[in-house]
Amino acid sequence: MGIDNPKRASFYNGLKGKRVIFIPIAMGLDITEAWYAGMKRQANDLGYSVEVRDPNASTEMGIRAMTSAIADRADLIVLHNPDLQSYAKLIRRARDAGIKVLQLNMEALQSSDSYVGGDWVKVGEQSTEVLAKTCAPGRGSSNKIAFVTGTPTGAITVYALRGMSIALTRHPEIKLVAVQAGNYDPVKEKSITATILQQHPDLCGIMGIWDLSDTGIGSAVVEAGKASQVNVLTVGPGSKTSCDNIHKGIFSTIVNYNLAAQVNVLNQQITELLLSPDKAGSTQTSYFSPLTVVTKSNATGRNCWTMEDFR
Amino acid sequence: MTAVSRNSVSIAERFVRFRSEYIPDHILGELLAKRWMDNAIPFIVMVSSVALFSIINPNFLTAGGIFDLVQQLSEFGLIAMALGIVMLSGGIDLSIGMIYSLSVLTVLTCLNVLGLSFPASLAVTLAVGAICGSINGILIGYLRLRAFLTTLVMLIIYRSIYELSFPLVSNGIVMGSSGSSFWEYLSFATFLGLPIPAFVFAMIAIAFHVLLSRMRPGWHLIAVGGARRSAYNAGINVRFTLFATYMTSGILCSLAGTLFAARIGSTGADTGVGMEIAALTAVVLGGNSLGGGRGSIPKTIIGAVIFLILSNGLIRMAVPGPLSAMILGVTLIAGVYVDGRWVKHRAQILHKLYVSPTYFELPPAPNTDFGSSSVYAVNDELRTSEIIGLGQIEGPEDPLLDRDGNLYAGSRHGDIYRFFAPNFTTHEIFAHIGGHPLGMNFDRHGNLVTCVGGMGLFMVTPDKEVIKLTDETNRSRYSVIDDSRMRLPDDLDIAPDGRIFFSEATTRYDYVEWPLDSLEARGNGRIICYDPSNKTTRTVLRSLMFPNGICVMPDGLSLLFAETWGCRISRFWFDGPEKGKVERLIENLPGMPDNINRASDGNYWTTLVGMRTPALDVALTMPGFRRRMTKRMGPSNWLMPNINTGCVLKFSPRGEMLESLWDMGGVNHPMVTSVKEHKGYLYLGGISNNRIGRWKIPNADPNWSGPESYWGKLDA
Repeated sequence: MGIDNPKRASFYNGLKGKRVIFIPIAMGLDITEAWYAGMKRQANDLGYSVEVRDPNASTEMGIRAMTSAIADRADLIVLHNPDLQSYAKLIRRARDAGIKVLQLNMEALQSSDSYVGGDWVKVGEQSTEVLAKTCAPGRGSSNKIAFVTGTPTGAITVYALRGMSIALTRHPEIKLVAVQAGNYDPVKEKSITATILQQHPDLCGIMGIWDLSDTGIGSAVVEAGKASQVNVLTVGPGSKTSCDNIHKGIFSTIVNYNLAAQVNVLNQQITELLLSPDKAGSTQTSYFSPLTVVTKSNATGRNCWTMEDFR
Repeated sequence: MTAVSRNSVSIAERFVRFRSEYIPDHILGELLAKRWMDNAIPFIVMVSSVALFSIINPNFLTAGGIFDLVQQLSEFGLIAMALGIVMLSGGIDLSIGMIYSLSVLTVLTCLNVLGLSFPASLAVTLAVGAICGSINGILIGYLRLRAFLTTLVMLIIYRSIYELSFPLVSNGIVMGSSGSSFWEYLSFATFLGLPIPAFVFAMIAIAFHVLLSRMRPGWHLIAVGGARRSAYNAGINVRFTLFATYMTSGILCSLAGTLFAARIGSTGADTGVGMEIAALTAVVLGGNSLGGGRGSIPKTIIGAVIFLILSNGLIRMAVPGPLSAMILGVTLIAGVYVDGRWVKHRAQILHKLYVSPTYFELPPAPNTDFGSSSVYAVNDELRTSEIIGLGQIEGPEDPLLDRDGNLYAGSRHGDIYRFFAPNFTTHEIFAHIGGHPLGMNFDRHGNLVTCVGGMGLFMVTPDKEVIKLTDETNRSRYSVIDDSRMRLPDDLDIAPDGRIFFSEATTRYDYVEWPLDSLEARGNGRIICYDPSNKTTRTVLRSLMFPNGICVMPDGLSLLFAETWGCRISRFWFDGPEKGKVERLIENLPGMPDNINRASDGNYWTTLVGMRTPALDVALTMPGFRRRMTKRMGPSNWLMPNINTGCVLKFSPRGEMLESLWDMGGVNHPMVTSVKEHKGYLYLGGISNNRIGRWKIPNADPNWSGPESYWGKLDA
């Protein structure tokens, strides 16, 4: 009955036995675990392998992991950059060695075969718009906002700052009173926020860039008794934990960059790169995942994923 | 029945004999005693981890894998060396990672932000490293703060400086680029298939290895690390040495930072974080001691290679990050444990393995019974001796008399005493040498030549000037231990042409360890010749069993020498037609002979320093028994020759034993080590006695003296 689809053989055979090496910044984070679970599910289904090499939040170890992945001649490296430069030379080396590189959510200055992740300029712009709205004259406690960034050399920080300045030119009434690097460390973010709140007791909005560490910002605001005054905006993949934090009053807003969409496109890109006969570096595609502004009103359902959704 | 059992014993004995003759057990101990043996365990670990990971990961030993390893080693190896030298000085530097990260930041700022040239950037960066290291050095070296706490605090301070300045320049570093072509060259170029930084690293490593192992600053550093107080007492500027060490460490860190910056072209928030633990693990795995004073550059490099292989291997095996951090932590603890054990037990293990007794069979000893007809029959002749210098001197091994009848003797305090003729009641310190003077004789010009235990061959002029003649001979080609340095020069005599022949009793033991050499009963000693005409020193006869007394015969072509553990006296021709010949003159003495000196009647005096005992004779045929004895019992319980008696022997040049003089029970003179005849008297020395004896020789030539016998009458 029926006829066989002639594309099946080349699709499955082309993927069989291929080797993908995933180098996150660190495992054990909701986002890296979810990516890995999603990649693994498809890899198991289609017969290629995904290995994780965990640098455990050390750039030095990440560099070594990347170096060894190149030496091991992986078919594809899925790379989560800690900053714009650290892996840049290695990405070029991988390309020269004929190994394709997909950069995930955090880019290096060196572009590669594919990028899947947030559009951080847009994230910065949209987040600032949200804060500008709540802190517009006559609405908030003041027109002062602050930004606690990640690592100063990270793509996220650099691009988000750009987006923020684009938005601020549209809102000259909003005053950016502080930009400080929290380095994704909740303790540090907490102390930075506490200091900002002391210097600017009438602060209206504060933006963080990663929901996991921005609990530091939120708790500083709660501890200062300013939860109703300060709009705590964070950015993240939007797991259920973060939604819970909205309900607890630690965050006011999450700019969600839709992890489910990322995982789907990531898996599509992996198969495409593994199947494509093109040389590494010959084409460069990007996919920016859509953004959703999540507040108390919509912090439910598909805006709040759990790990089970990806396994 | 007896015959059968005797036969079976002799087969067993033959085996023991064969074994001790052909299996050089002693080499094992000599190998273990080598300083570089410390490297053995780390080296084996390195080789096995290379083997293990190349099995697990087939790409490991490919050109690419080695390239990556070498590149990482260039940076990490410098960091490990930076910590290694500090630990060698007895300290620790926890701030190395932060000096490194500050250097990465500095060099990138100079190149990408300020647009400086590469040489200028390098200079600034090295200066930053030097300053950071100097601050540590001043605090620890000059202000004498604890290294651990100080560098921990400096870690935090340097880290804070990094975090404060990083955001200010981060955009510039990321967006800017350097115009320096050399910088690009450093980061990309290869030479002979290896990255350029590898050659930088190799040059620095070799330079530091030479500095540490062959040059004064390195020796000072190791001395300070090994025993700070002793180093201070020896006149080493401890404070400056420590300061310089920390400063050098800082410079090495900044160099590593420069190489890292060249390779990666960026710096991150976590650059250098945890580097101190990684370097510490590497340094300890290499076998460098945590306590200081023991370590080297090769060890540090071995440790760095092990660490890199291990941590890279863990990443490749997809071991979760926290778990691999834990594995590396456990490795560090294991390294520290092994280091502690090794340092603690090395000497003990070495001691147990070093002593290597051999098979030696002596015929039954001649009869020495009191009143018997044996020439060795015990008597109490020496009881009538007069006692000189009682309680004033310790250890006059070999007394000596000059033409005026003054009496010279060495003491264990390192002096040569002169007792004034004629009654020897007053004395002076004739010379201070520093080691125990043993055998002594005058040369043609009246210089006193002496063998000094642990030091070498020395000469004291009549003006009391002390001159070192030699302390080094040619090294034996196949000897594992370096036998060029003298350990136990013992007795000497001087040929008519001025050549000095002297015995070195053993090359395997130090002066105070002679009982161990006696238990080995191997030919560990030698005879050495020093020629003053061209100041050369050559070994002329080897493999002698504790060669001791030396006496040149009047023919000027041969000498007599005593082998103490061999209980024999031989003649050796050092010149003339029979040059090189050795003839056993007297074998199977009832005890162990010591010095040999001329007698006025053309015969020779010797002494027995210790008596054989039947138990000892049997033990000499049982090497295993003696080995167990040294391992399991304290030295005071070992079988030893009986040294509680004094014996002087006279024998003819043809080896006939003429008479024996005894102090049975050693009341006046136990353990007589040497006698010298002078004007009708015999002067008795003993290496552990607190006196010199003078005994009237019946019917001796009252005008005969040693210097005259050797060098003739002085022209008036």
